[in-house]
Amino acid sequence: MPDKPPPKNDMFQMKTRRQAEFITPPNYLKTKVGYGGLTDEILNKAQALLENNTVDFRPLGEMYLDSLLRGVHDVKALPNWETRDESLISAILFPAMQLKANGGMFHYQLVTMIADYLIKFLEVIEMIDKDAIEIIMAFHTTIRAILLGQIKGDGGARGADLLKALTDACHRYLEKYPEKKTS
Amino acid sequence: MTYKFDKVRILVVEDNTPMLEICKSLLLAFGVGDVLSAKNGDMGFQVFCKENPDIVISDWMMYPMDGISLTRRIRSDPKSPNIYAPIILMTGFSEKKRVVQARDSGVTEFLVKPFSARDMYKRIAQIIERPRQFVRSEDFFGPDRRRTIDVGYQGPFRRESDFKAMKDQKDRMRAASLNLDHLRKNAGLDKTDKIEDIDFN
Repeated sequence: MPDKPPPKNDMFQMKTRRQAEFITPPNYLKTKVGYGGLTDEILNKAQALLENNTVDFRPLGEMYLDSLLRGVHDVKALPNWETRDESLISAILFPAMQLKANGGMFHYQLVTMIADYLIKFLEVIEMIDKDAIEIIMAFHTTIRAILLGQIKGDGGARGADLLKALTDACHRYLEKYPEKKTS
Repeated sequence: MTYKFDKVRILVVEDNTPMLEICKSLLLAFGVGDVLSAKNGDMGFQVFCKENPDIVISDWMMYPMDGISLTRRIRSDPKSPNIYAPIILMTGFSEKKRVVQARDSGVTEFLVKPFSARDMYKRIAQIIERPRQFVRSEDFFGPDRRRTIDVGYQGPFRRESDFKAMKDQKDRMRAASLNLDHLRKNAGLDKTDKIEDIDFN
């Protein structure tokens, strides 16, 4: 029995509205590097270079913390310390991202873990208000203490306690103000 | 046999000097022949136009020009010597909306900081071994944003790679079925035996 012809409104039979052109550029890079990948020995050597870097992260970390604080002060200058302005929220979010990105690269993994949670918090709230400012300042104070105390690595049990206290504060905020978080 | 990176030139665009130095050290440890650098997107584009490197590795947040704007310039500026240049964007952001934003600007790969030597190597290896096709449409020019093939896709197959994926999936299903038959046979079971009928003790 012959197949039934597709209905005229079958989307797979319709002409597409926008035409996309697919281009396959020549892979010169493959020609240059050849085959085989890199050996574990090379990768371990490169990883050792990363792990043994002696860069002092504290001045950089302090710079990002100052930048974050300036963002907080800009919001505090507004009536009721409230804003939905994305540029003002970004002024707090971006330094937090820098702390997350760079802390772990320079042995301060706990800074990365804490800043990561601050980013998650800032990415889900619709607006910044007084309570949110209080939470952001708690993150700021904690990261500052880690830098001053030169707590490298994940901070062990104390580090886990600090992270839990901060994440609990975020959860309490989001439970208190479910309307202030994005879907 | 291993990769020979000695003829490869990579441009690293990063405003954070210690981070820039770390990236350069990593790439030199991989054996990259020439590592170029720039401190922001604007300077990065100038170096890119002058040197035409094989790969660009750029930070996202920089002033006056960030990594996203640099990517757009490389993909669309008439002065760009290679609009198809592979671009790896480094950032601390890992949230989906940020990844989508980077992807839509024409970035080839996304490298989340902090990263390990293997993380960086994997992105470079992806570019070499699984280069993305480029797509030009009304509102987008850049690497094809789909890399994985949806094997559950039920629509018409348009490309050779789709047919290969379909064949691979059928082969895997056939092999799994044969393996199941083999296990049944070894256990003295029949196809009609139900799991609940089997005494595991």
